[in-house]
Amino acid sequence: MSIKQQILKLTGVLIIFVLVLSSLQTKAQSGLDLRINEILVHNDSNYVDDYGMRNSWIEIFNSAYNSVNMAGMYLTNDPKNPTKYRIAKGDPITKIPSRNYLVFFADSHPTRGILHLNFSLEDTNYLAIYDVNGRTLLDEITYPPQRPDISYGRELDGSENWVVLDKTTPRANNFTGEIVTAGDEFVKMDPTGFGMAMIAMSVVFSALVLLYLVFKNTKKIYAINLKTLFRKPVKETAILAAEEEEIPGEVGAAIALALNLYISQYHDHEEAVLTIKKVARTYSPWSSKIYGLNRPPR
Amino acid sequence: MESSSFISFVGDHLNQFFTYTAFANMTAGHIIMICIGLIFIYLAIAKEYEPMLLVPIGFGILVGNIAFYPGLQIGIYESGSVLNYLYFGVLQGVYPPLIFLGIGAMTDFSALISNPKLMLIGAAAQLGIFGAYALALVLGFSPAEAGAIGIIGGADGPTAIFLSSKLAPDLMGAIAVSAYSYMALVPVIQPPVMRLLTTKKERVIRMRPPRSVSKLEKILFPIIGLLLTTFIVPSGLPLLGMLFFGNLLKESTVTKRLADTAKGPLIDIVTILIGLTVGASTQATSFLTAKSVGIFALGAASFVIATFGGVMFVKIINLFLKEGNKINPLIGNAGVSAVPDSARVSQIVGLEYDKTNHLLMHAMGPNVAGVIGSAVAAGILLGFLS
Repeated sequence: MSIKQQILKLTGVLIIFVLVLSSLQTKAQSGLDLRINEILVHNDSNYVDDYGMRNSWIEIFNSAYNSVNMAGMYLTNDPKNPTKYRIAKGDPITKIPSRNYLVFFADSHPTRGILHLNFSLEDTNYLAIYDVNGRTLLDEITYPPQRPDISYGRELDGSENWVVLDKTTPRANNFTGEIVTAGDEFVKMDPTGFGMAMIAMSVVFSALVLLYLVFKNTKKIYAINLKTLFRKPVKETAILAAEEEEIPGEVGAAIALALNLYISQYHDHEEAVLTIKKVARTYSPWSSKIYGLNRPPR
Repeated sequence: MESSSFISFVGDHLNQFFTYTAFANMTAGHIIMICIGLIFIYLAIAKEYEPMLLVPIGFGILVGNIAFYPGLQIGIYESGSVLNYLYFGVLQGVYPPLIFLGIGAMTDFSALISNPKLMLIGAAAQLGIFGAYALALVLGFSPAEAGAIGIIGGADGPTAIFLSSKLAPDLMGAIAVSAYSYMALVPVIQPPVMRLLTTKKERVIRMRPPRSVSKLEKILFPIIGLLLTTFIVPSGLPLLGMLFFGNLLKESTVTKRLADTAKGPLIDIVTILIGLTVGASTQATSFLTAKSVGIFALGAASFVIATFGGVMFVKIINLFLKEGNKINPLIGNAGVSAVPDSARVSQIVGLEYDKTNHLLMHAMGPNVAGVIGSAVAAGILLGFLS
């Protein structure tokens, strides 16, 4: 195997490897984007449900940029029983819009509606969501002992870090500080816009430089004959591969012009063009030579 | 007695009817905007400055500035009105990618493929965007507004509308009208800057004729172009994706019907809708503000800076190129993506100094690279500022 072939095979393996790795990291925007975002285990004087009761509650956050329907999924506080509470289908309330929230009440009163679960968070220290098949774990949390009316949640919506939150925030962002937009943050560091110009121009240049490099060498790339590249090497005497000569545009234009002039302007023999046309004459005794009037008498 | 009450009845109703007419609701701002609309229409028809854009926009300005009694679901900003439905495509950024599809289907990238280093001019001319961004910050615009205003320097109407709809929807009307106005004025703005920055010797540089480009190269260009640019700036995907898709429809030659639709009826329909609704969005009550004046001033500055960036970049790279390979700096202005007006300006100015030196084909390279560059720049601004 030639070095060229080895390099090609190695490159192929590397590309496949990178593709497989990247596909493993890719998550579809589905139930996998749901997060248990905040819980309140002991509710003494906190959030009230639609029956005016105070019970432990669970906030689910849809971290995707599309809506996700929780209908048919399961919530449980028992790791051995993943299908403890099935979220019924058919109610639009279970559809969580993009980057939004849904609060369930863990009050052991499932007859009060879809959002009321058949268990309480006070029973165990475990909570999980399972996908509609009842086997795929979407998210789980094992929480430490909780204080009354103080919720436990992710520091930022959907993030990995769980903390005791300063404020309970059902159906709202867990981060209650001042939200600084990306633009404000950028300008704070770069008030004149010089940094933006430098970074952005570099990115624009690098994108177009990449294109430049590729198209500078494209002709060389597609000139590689793959058939001969992958063919087993045969002992050959010196073969001189005649390289395709590049015809510059001006030569092409000159040839085209010459042809055009030749065809359209300088063929000045039009009158001399001969046309051979067969003239068909139907037979008639009147035109027959036999009976011709100019036949000399015998 | 009865007749006098009937007359007063008719009088009351005529008076009530009058309150519904534009005469009763007219302000000085509406009259100014109607005049601006009429100027746009005049420039488009009499001077033939970007008529495809200025006629719909100019007429849209008239439509948007007929003063009406509010609450009748007439105005473009009133929920449920027909104009509001049509405006949805602008607000949600639907129209610009469709226009890019058509642009892709009608653009021949051969000039760029045959001389790829011209792509870099298209990148250099994006300096106008970031120069205007910096100036807008100095004038006190918020970062997002500054980004949306800066994109005027890209000289690309659909890109300007797309980005401003995301970053500063309130300023979209002013930004779009400013972008299209200056695109129409490219033949006026650019030549003085080009003459100022170049010497007589530079203006007569003859460039090597472009080589012939194979079909395979033309087919590969949109595919590789998409992958390279959007891997770097995914936020530019709606514009770049549609641009390269349209170009593949054209260059593959097997989807002629689709390409014909994209560059024909589709782009025509979307141009009508975008032009009319953007024009109509310039209602005097929301348009005639100090901010709009600032946007117009910054728009002019951005075009000058963009032209400066393109021309100066060519002069700089000429320092490193051998004699015979040098680039005529008069094509530097074409890096702003006002296709094909800025390339035409290169040709006209070039012919003034050498009657036989045709720069149009060379200028088309940076011109179409400018389209890619401005879409990439929009993606960057969107990524940083949204």
